[in-house]
Amino acid sequence: MLEFRSVRASIGIIEILRDLDFRVDASDTLALIGRNGAGKTTLLRSIMGFTRVTGEIRFDGTRLDSVPPPKRPGLGIGYSPEDRRLFSAFTVEENILLPAQAARIDGAETRRRLARVYEILPELRDMAARPAGNVSGGQGKMVALGRALMSGTRLVMLDEPFQGLAPALAQRYAAALRALRDADKTITLIITESNPALLRGFANRTLVIERGEVSEGSLEPAGTGA
Amino acid sequence: MNLTIFLLALFDGISYAALIFIVALGLTLIFGVMRILNVAHGSLYAIGAYATASLTAWFLALGFAPILAFPLMIVSAVLVGVLLGGPIEWLLLRRIYNKPEVLQLLVTFAVFMILEDVQRLVWGTQPYFQASALQALGNVTVFGVTYTVYQLILLPVVALVLLLGLRIFLRHTIIGKLILATTEDREAAQSIGIDADKVFLFTFIVGAILAGLGGALASPTTSILPGMGANMIVLSFAVIATAGLGQIEGAAVAALMIGLGRSYAVYLWPEVAVLVPYLIMVLVLLMRPEGLFGSPGTRKI
Repeated sequence: MLEFRSVRASIGIIEILRDLDFRVDASDTLALIGRNGAGKTTLLRSIMGFTRVTGEIRFDGTRLDSVPPPKRPGLGIGYSPEDRRLFSAFTVEENILLPAQAARIDGAETRRRLARVYEILPELRDMAARPAGNVSGGQGKMVALGRALMSGTRLVMLDEPFQGLAPALAQRYAAALRALRDADKTITLIITESNPALLRGFANRTLVIERGEVSEGSLEPAGTGA
Repeated sequence: MNLTIFLLALFDGISYAALIFIVALGLTLIFGVMRILNVAHGSLYAIGAYATASLTAWFLALGFAPILAFPLMIVSAVLVGVLLGGPIEWLLLRRIYNKPEVLQLLVTFAVFMILEDVQRLVWGTQPYFQASALQALGNVTVFGVTYTVYQLILLPVVALVLLLGLRIFLRHTIIGKLILATTEDREAAQSIGIDADKVFLFTFIVGAILAGLGGALASPTTSILPGMGANMIVLSFAVIATAGLGQIEGAAVAALMIGLGRSYAVYLWPEVAVLVPYLIMVLVLLMRPEGLFGSPGTRKI
């Protein structure tokens, strides 16, 4: 469903992604593992169109370079960037609804998607009317996940979602991802993480990115032979 | 100061404040959303005034009623916003959003200079005067002071309607919400599918329409002549700097302070009247460098 063919990206004269060739299938849960600066975020941003690339990225058979970046979420892609969180001008629910409004999705479909978000993340319903500026960091991550699910009907990309989460919240977040996985067998998840242990037992596929090159990898500690 | 002078100064101040507020509203909206200080805003104001005067004179010569001046003001403002504002954002500003602020300022200043010469080419240097709209509404007498309905009632009402209307538009319509989201965090907005380019173009056109509308509304109350755009951009900049850049409600308060300050100075201390708006700005900025209502923190309008 997502395919990279000879994809390269540079920022200035520094090559961030080097000749990436890989594919991700529908219903995959892909862990994208790599150190800070390895190119994880750049890879996700290239899918969203925020980083220029050469080569070809195909999504459901469509060449993404023919789709302007603001239209890409409309293809069913949800993206939750690492550091960019919520809009404090709005309530939690208004934040969640924004992607549907930006894509001019009709009322019935918007309500259906919102109900799905609340089903997977029931705690969001309780804070729906709160100003988004007043929720804690951990709650904010949940809201950001809910917001990504509004447009992410086919592919959801989460950039370091566990970063900075207290252990209890990290477990809750992982449980929400499992609930999503159970509720929607065909959705594709890409989760970047610098700590492989957090995604163990959840991701069915692992790509390791190092110095801008990807290779198939494993979430198991080296030497266990898993 | 007797009551008559007091009231005259009050009415002068209110009608003047209403006009500068309308222009400053567009300037501060554009700054709040796009972080561009648009010096060419002054030219858009002047061209709005020239266009209204010309269109009104033309239609009156064809035998239409003077009341037609009002819809022609709106027509002129929209023409200024769409025909000038649109291309300025689309052809020029879009290329320089990531460039240093000095360059952005120089580019909008260059547009201002070009448009100033365009005005001279099109309308010459002779002053225009077209007061049909002012006369059409007549006068009102308040506590023995006679004042024009246009300046005492219409201008403040339009200013208030624009203030409330813009706030409701931003907070309660989908386009308004997309603008607020883009203002707060452009990249986060893009990552959820908001087309920031369209948001900026739309915002700039709305701001330019407000400049044109300010000029259109000012046209019956003043002689329209070269240099009026320069005066207005300096004045409306004083208003939005006093208020805090990007502060919409704050701009209304600052416009009132500066409008009233200037009009009372005209009667009490005429030698410094033109200086008063800037003295107010300097005093406020010395005490609060971010402006009366500005905050150094998150980006909001």
